[in-house]
Amino acid sequence: MGTSSAVIEVHGVVKEFRHWRRRLRALDGVDLEVRAGEVFGLLGANGAGKTTLVKVLLGLSRPTEGEVRVRGRNPRQASARARIGYLPEGHRFPGYLTGDASLRLFGRLAGLPEIALDRRIPELLELVGLSERGRDRVGRYSKGMTQRLGLACALLDGPDVLLLDEPTDGVDPVGRRQIRDILLGARERGTTIFINSHLLSEVERTCDRVAILNGGRVLREGTVDGLTRPTQRYRLRLAGGEPPPDDKMQAIGAQVLSSNGALEVQVPDVETLNRLVDVLRAERLLIAEISPLRAALEDVFVEVVGGDEHGPGGPHPEPGAGGGS
Amino acid sequence: MKTWALVVDTWREALARHTLLGFLIVSALFLMVLGFALNLDIVDGTLAAGTLFGKALEFHHNRTPAIDSVVVTGESIFAGMLYALGVFLAIFATGSQVPNLQHRGTVDLYVTRPVTRTHLLLGRFLGAITLVTANLVFLCGGVFLIISLKTKVWNPRFLLASGLILVVFLSYLGFMYLVGVLSSSTPLSIMLPYALYMLSVPLAAHDRIAAAMDSRLTAGIVNGLYWILPKTAEVGRDLTTYVLGKGSPTLLPLATTAAFGVACLAAAVVIFNRKNF
Repeated sequence: MGTSSAVIEVHGVVKEFRHWRRRLRALDGVDLEVRAGEVFGLLGANGAGKTTLVKVLLGLSRPTEGEVRVRGRNPRQASARARIGYLPEGHRFPGYLTGDASLRLFGRLAGLPEIALDRRIPELLELVGLSERGRDRVGRYSKGMTQRLGLACALLDGPDVLLLDEPTDGVDPVGRRQIRDILLGARERGTTIFINSHLLSEVERTCDRVAILNGGRVLREGTVDGLTRPTQRYRLRLAGGEPPPDDKMQAIGAQVLSSNGALEVQVPDVETLNRLVDVLRAERLLIAEISPLRAALEDVFVEVVGGDEHGPGGPHPEPGAGGGS
Repeated sequence: MKTWALVVDTWREALARHTLLGFLIVSALFLMVLGFALNLDIVDGTLAAGTLFGKALEFHHNRTPAIDSVVVTGESIFAGMLYALGVFLAIFATGSQVPNLQHRGTVDLYVTRPVTRTHLLLGRFLGAITLVTANLVFLCGGVFLIISLKTKVWNPRFLLASGLILVVFLSYLGFMYLVGVLSSSTPLSIMLPYALYMLSVPLAAHDRIAAAMDSRLTAGIVNGLYWILPKTAEVGRDLTTYVLGKGSPTLLPLATTAAFGVACLAAAVVIFNRKNF
């Protein structure tokens, strides 16, 4: 089954939760493949089924139907989880442990020898910017620090596969960039990364391919470039900040969409764009920049999820998935 | 290494949550009260009473038989008290183990490591055993030393009896693990074993209770419960008899008590393995 280079394979996965006599379908026939060395983003609104899928991928939860393979093995088997790093959403390290002791505990549970831990733990604390706080109790950490410690924990045994559930949740912009750099570094070392997030801009910057999940179903899947197709919109910046001749622009068929510092104009074709340049030059306006705009992932997401009959989040609340999805 | 990590984690948790400290404080208080009590004049008088016309009666070990008998009887009473206190404290000290492990956001970190769920649960079980054994050694060993040093009567059966306390506690620990896995609730994990403890004591008189029942069904239920649940009262009685030197513990109550714990622990492991988090 699947392509030979597929590291994560999800085939026809259905996950139903039973609550008394009610059946809640969190995943509804999900098919996915993530190839080796790829950074894959799973997008979805709250309650879309993202966290449930990640839990199924890790064997935390058993699928009602279908099959999941990670590196060709069933993740319910303990040995199959070796060198799989996981950052759970809303994770809670035991508050009585220090950052250093937390990493040592979970490193030992991963089967790492003490000598390797002695070297690895300070390295990882340094990497995530917690080297000064390694001896503090986790209970005293801020949300962002806990998140960074979680990332260090996920990286403990030099994983081949990283599964990250909302990795930048609660992290400030500087921390986000730091996390993004760490992930890109891991990708360069050949780690396959599966990111589950609703922060579309983060996913857009980090991922090679994405899937949009809604109501437990994959509505769209593809590369970030493929999904964020070029539009007929252009960003236009005039030198000197002079006002554009709106009436003349509209007369040739160019529509001004916004003018917040730079103009965003929509034209029907390239010929109209060239005529627009002529009009502006005829007015002796200096053009500092013209660049084509692509549909942002956010636009695609809203279009796809908004067009789905289930609507954002779908009809299935997600038991056991906390505030996430 | 993984097992060691889980045992160390159990100790760290007990230290951080002050359950270990609480256990030690209560045990130390008990030992202090015992120490003061043994220094009372009446005790000294009793010890001195084993003389005749000012001269101690020579028997074995250079002491009177009366003193040995008084001390051993006292030890058997203390053994009974320690049995109740030891199990009570041990349940309290370990009741939060499984619920804490199953906290949302925490369990994910443990269960997604390359370690089986059976290993995780049994590793923590082993941690609890070491924790409670250490405390029992402190409590029972302390009582043994205080009594023996004061009276010069050394009765090793008293120390061996603490092994029986451990067996009974392990049976309750198995039950606690089952409740913890099913409910993820610390209060339930503590209260239900206490309820079981209280229920199992009167069941020692199951034959008389069953005879008083007006239906065969209820009589059967009483007898069934007796055979299924831990034989807390019988083991306690055996323990005091053993300390007195009037007999060895009988196998059946001990074996069925241990079997109850093993069955509960096995059920806890199976359910924990099948659980979705």
